[in-house]
Amino acid sequence: MTGPKVIVFTCNWNAYNGLETAGAQHSRYSPSVYPLKVMCLGQISPGIILKAFENGADGVLLLGCPLDECHFEFGNRRAEEVFQEARKLANLLGYRNEQLQLDWLAAGDGQGFVEKIEHFLAGLYEGQRQP
Amino acid sequence: MKPVLEFVDTHKLWYCLDCGKCGAACPISRHETRTFTSPRTLIEKAVHCGMDEVMDEPLFWSCLTCYRCSQVCPSDVHFSEFMRSARSLARGHDRSGDCTHGGMIQTWGRMMTNPDMRQNRLSWVTSDLKFSEDSDTLYFVGCMPYYDPLFRKLGVEGVEIAQAAVRILNHLGIKPQILADERCCGHDQLWEGDLDTFRALAGLNITQLKASGAKRIVTTCPECARTLKMDYPEYVGDHGLEVIHLAQLLADAGLDLPPQADDGLVTYQDPCRLGRHLGVYDAPRQVLFDIGLELVEMPHHAATSLCCGTSCWSACGQVSKSIQVERLEEARATGAETLVTACIKCQIHFKCAQNDPLLGERVGIKIQDLTTLVAGRLFGDTKRNPKQEVPVVSR
Repeated sequence: MTGPKVIVFTCNWNAYNGLETAGAQHSRYSPSVYPLKVMCLGQISPGIILKAFENGADGVLLLGCPLDECHFEFGNRRAEEVFQEARKLANLLGYRNEQLQLDWLAAGDGQGFVEKIEHFLAGLYEGQRQP
Repeated sequence: MKPVLEFVDTHKLWYCLDCGKCGAACPISRHETRTFTSPRTLIEKAVHCGMDEVMDEPLFWSCLTCYRCSQVCPSDVHFSEFMRSARSLARGHDRSGDCTHGGMIQTWGRMMTNPDMRQNRLSWVTSDLKFSEDSDTLYFVGCMPYYDPLFRKLGVEGVEIAQAAVRILNHLGIKPQILADERCCGHDQLWEGDLDTFRALAGLNITQLKASGAKRIVTTCPECARTLKMDYPEYVGDHGLEVIHLAQLLADAGLDLPPQADDGLVTYQDPCRLGRHLGVYDAPRQVLFDIGLELVEMPHHAATSLCCGTSCWSACGQVSKSIQVERLEEARATGAETLVTACIKCQIHFKCAQNDPLLGERVGIKIQDLTTLVAGRLFGDTKRNPKQEVPVVSR
C-alpha cells in the first residue's frame, strides 16, 4: 500500500463515468484510492462520511455532477448541504479541511478525474507535513 | 455469554405480578398502534421463552428506558435495567437498534474511543468566559458542540447552553475547568447495549477527570449527569468526584430575581434522566421560582412526566412522533408561553416534531433550555440568532 487511504464517493452519472474513461484511457492513480459508486451523491449522509473516517480513511473526496447537471435535479445541492454538515463534524473530531473535500466532474473527463485525485492527495501530503 | 435468565434474576423480573400497570403507563405501549406490546409481555417472554422471543418484541429496541414503568410497578421490577442488560446480550446475537441520523452519532461515539484523537471542540469558547485550571469545579460540556451544527436548522440551542452555563458559573464566582478532549459520556452506548464502546469512552473520561484535580462535576445534560454519577462507578471505575446538574447548583445558590412585566407563564418538562433516574424534581422548579417566573404544571409532571419520545438516537418513528405531539399539546393546553426543559435532547426531539408542517399550530409553543433562560434573566437577552452558526475552524 502506498500513500494515504482515500475513499472517493462518485455519483453514477457524471463522476463515475469520468472514472471509467480514466480506466479506458489506462490513466494511473494511487492504488490507495478506493472509489465507491453511489447512484446520486445527494443520497449519502454525514453518517456515511464519518463512517469512512472511522474505518481508517485518511481522506474522503466527494465527486458529484457539475452544477445544474444533476441527473436527479437537486442531488448535488443536497450533497453540498451534507458536505457542509459533515465537514463541521469532521473538524470537531480533529480532521482538517483537506481531508474532506467536495468537487465535481463532467462525464467522460478521464483526465479530470486523475487530476482531481492527485490534487486531493497533494493536499493530504501538504497537511501531513504541517505540525 | 450470560443467559437471559441471569438478568431475569438480577433485575427481579420474577416479581412481576402480571398486573398490567406498566402497559398502561408505558408511552410506547400507548402509542404503538400496529401491534400490542408492553413491558409485561416482554417480561413474560423473557421468563418463559428466552432470548430469541425477547429480541423480536417490538418494545425491545424502542423502549425509552424512561423508568415510567418502574415508577408505577408495585413489585419494583427493574425493567429499564433489564432492557439495558438484554440489549448488551442481543449484541452477541448480531442485533442492534435502528440508528437514526445515518448512525452518525453512534459513529462519532466509537471514533472518540481512539485515545490519540485530538478534538477541536472548544470553538464555542468566547473571550468573556472565564476558566481556571485549578478550579474545584469542572464543567462537563457533553456533546453540545456536536449537536450544534447538526440541529441548528431546527433552531435548537446548542453551544448557547454551554456558553450560558459558563457565564452563570462565572456570575456565581466559579471559574470552571473544561476538558479540551472530553469524550462523549457513553450514555447512549450503554443503554443501547454497546458496552465495549461505553467502557472505552468512560475509561478515557475517568483518566482526564482524575488528572484535572477537580472535586465536583457540573453538567447541563441530565444524561451526562446520570452516567457520570451512577454508571461510571458501576461499570468502569469511580472518579471520586461529586456530580450535579447545573439546576441543582442554581437552586442552592438561591438566585433572587424579580418578575418582569411581560413575563408569560412557563411549564416544565422533566427529563427522564434528571427526574425519575436521579430524583431531581424540585431544583429546576425552585430555579424557575427564584428567577421570578410563574410555573404552571402539565397534567403529567414530576414522577409521572412523559418522555420526549426517543432515546439513544435509535428507533425514532411514528410512535416517537405521537408521544412528542401528545406532550406538546399537553404543554400548549396549560396556557404557558414557554416549555422549559433541562435536557438538550428533549429540546431537539420536540423541535423536530414542531418542524412538521402538517402539525402547525397544534404543537406550537416556544421551547427553551433552563440554562439559557436563567442566563437571559441574569444578563439580559444575550441569546444569539438561532440560525446563526458558530464558526468551526479547521486545525
